[in-house]
Amino acid sequence: MRLYVQLIAARIRAQLQYRASFLFEVASFAIITAVEFIAVTIVVQRFESINGWELPDIAVLYGISASALGCAEMIARGFDAPFERMIMYGTFDSILLRPHGTYFQVLASEFQLRRLGRVIQGLVVLSIGLGQVAEWHTTTAMALLFGISCSTVVYVALYSVGATLCFWTVKQPEVMNAFTIGGQQLTSYPLSIFDELVRIIFLSVVPLGAIIYPAALTILGRSDPLGIPATLIWFAPLIAAACAAVAWRFWTFGVAHYQSSGT
Amino acid sequence: MRLYWEVLVRSFRRAATYRGAALAGMLTNAFFGMLLSTVYRAAYADRADVAGMSIQDAISALWLSQALISIGAGWVTLDVQHAIRSGDIIIDLMRPWDVTGYWLCRGIGERLFLLIGRGTSTYAIGVIGFGAQVPNMAQLLIFVPSVMFALILATIFGFIVNLTAFWTIDNTGVLMLANVTLGFFSGFLIPLPFFPAWLADIAAVLPFQGITNIPLQLMLGRISGTDIWSAYALQWSWILVLLAISRGLVGVATRRVVIQGG
Repeated sequence: MRLYVQLIAARIRAQLQYRASFLFEVASFAIITAVEFIAVTIVVQRFESINGWELPDIAVLYGISASALGCAEMIARGFDAPFERMIMYGTFDSILLRPHGTYFQVLASEFQLRRLGRVIQGLVVLSIGLGQVAEWHTTTAMALLFGISCSTVVYVALYSVGATLCFWTVKQPEVMNAFTIGGQQLTSYPLSIFDELVRIIFLSVVPLGAIIYPAALTILGRSDPLGIPATLIWFAPLIAAACAAVAWRFWTFGVAHYQSSGT
Repeated sequence: MRLYWEVLVRSFRRAATYRGAALAGMLTNAFFGMLLSTVYRAAYADRADVAGMSIQDAISALWLSQALISIGAGWVTLDVQHAIRSGDIIIDLMRPWDVTGYWLCRGIGERLFLLIGRGTSTYAIGVIGFGAQVPNMAQLLIFVPSVMFALILATIFGFIVNLTAFWTIDNTGVLMLANVTLGFFSGFLIPLPFFPAWLADIAAVLPFQGITNIPLQLMLGRISGTDIWSAYALQWSWILVLLAISRGLVGVATRRVVIQGG
């Protein structure tokens, strides 16, 4: 853990060397992801409400989901393009030779602070949505905290599963986008509007819906028309832990199957 | 002319060898299509008409934009940029042909395959699974040329964005900005009819509407009569403008820029 902090601190210092360029990148990330929310806003404004959820309600869902995805992108970037290159050029071999866990090394190989742009944008949207919450209880705050942190863990797990598939496919399968970016888009809307199959997938296999949606239900004091309990949010740490465990098991299984490109 | 035609055909065939990748891409597009179809269904639950669009129009628009990812309507792909970064572009520049012509034909050939293979099957999923509109013969005859023009327009725009790699060491920022502008103002992210008036006015003076919006409007029959010709003309004027810009950029780049060697 201390080593991780040291490595990441070095990464962050390196990125802060070019301060102007760094700030520019964070700002452009925030603007670009903001367009995404503007698109959602235009649709929701046109329709006034979706299934009884108005714009500030949707903003809560979107805000939790986007800021969690932003955190995950920041933390788990090592599993993305840099890892794909590691497999393509066979440099993963050197990771295997070092006296530290492979999962740890890949995770510590990159930390993209500029993704903070998405996190900030997500938090801004979230605060717009939270403006309407009249009464704050400890449970509301806890639900918010659980919602963001636990879904971040799930997103990181998804990135690592995508990376693990590279042991067989070399190239990162495009389908993983459907779960990460797609998952973020999906959880920006109330889960109750989706078909049964989609609901089941996002409540069980990719449990983003089992965290973000109940979190928003709890914060907004709503109840789900289909009976998905808001209290599900209190199981979020368990769900996140299970995801992390599965992702880690899959990773060790993948590493055992690694065949170097042999250069 | 013959040479460029051959480049186009070769590029089409090369794209055809990556059928697996095209299939995987199609499934991803279909997933997003399905997801947003559900959102529209819920949104239209107690309305029949929003901004002149029925639910079927909205769903057709959605699946068309997913299908047009194949022609580069959603985001810019990086092909020329890699050649510029690695210095390989120098070999293209030495050959006895026009670099702009070569890369554009290459891009068009590839996208043509993707449109026929990946694009049509994505839309077919929308028709079968979600009730996207099946255009009749007359609509199809008006629609197909505009998609071809959109394909050319998207290819040239992508080429221009790629060219910025001549001047910047890292053009990630330019790329992200280009992608978001393209996605938003072409009608890819949301159909332009949903835009509030002031945003629609901005979109109307930009080239991007020629990429997703015009083919869409023609397919839905929202443009008819002589307006069809003006729509084509609009697409072509932007094609010519962007073509002039890209040729100008290539000219400046080859005169003034130092290529990274290796």
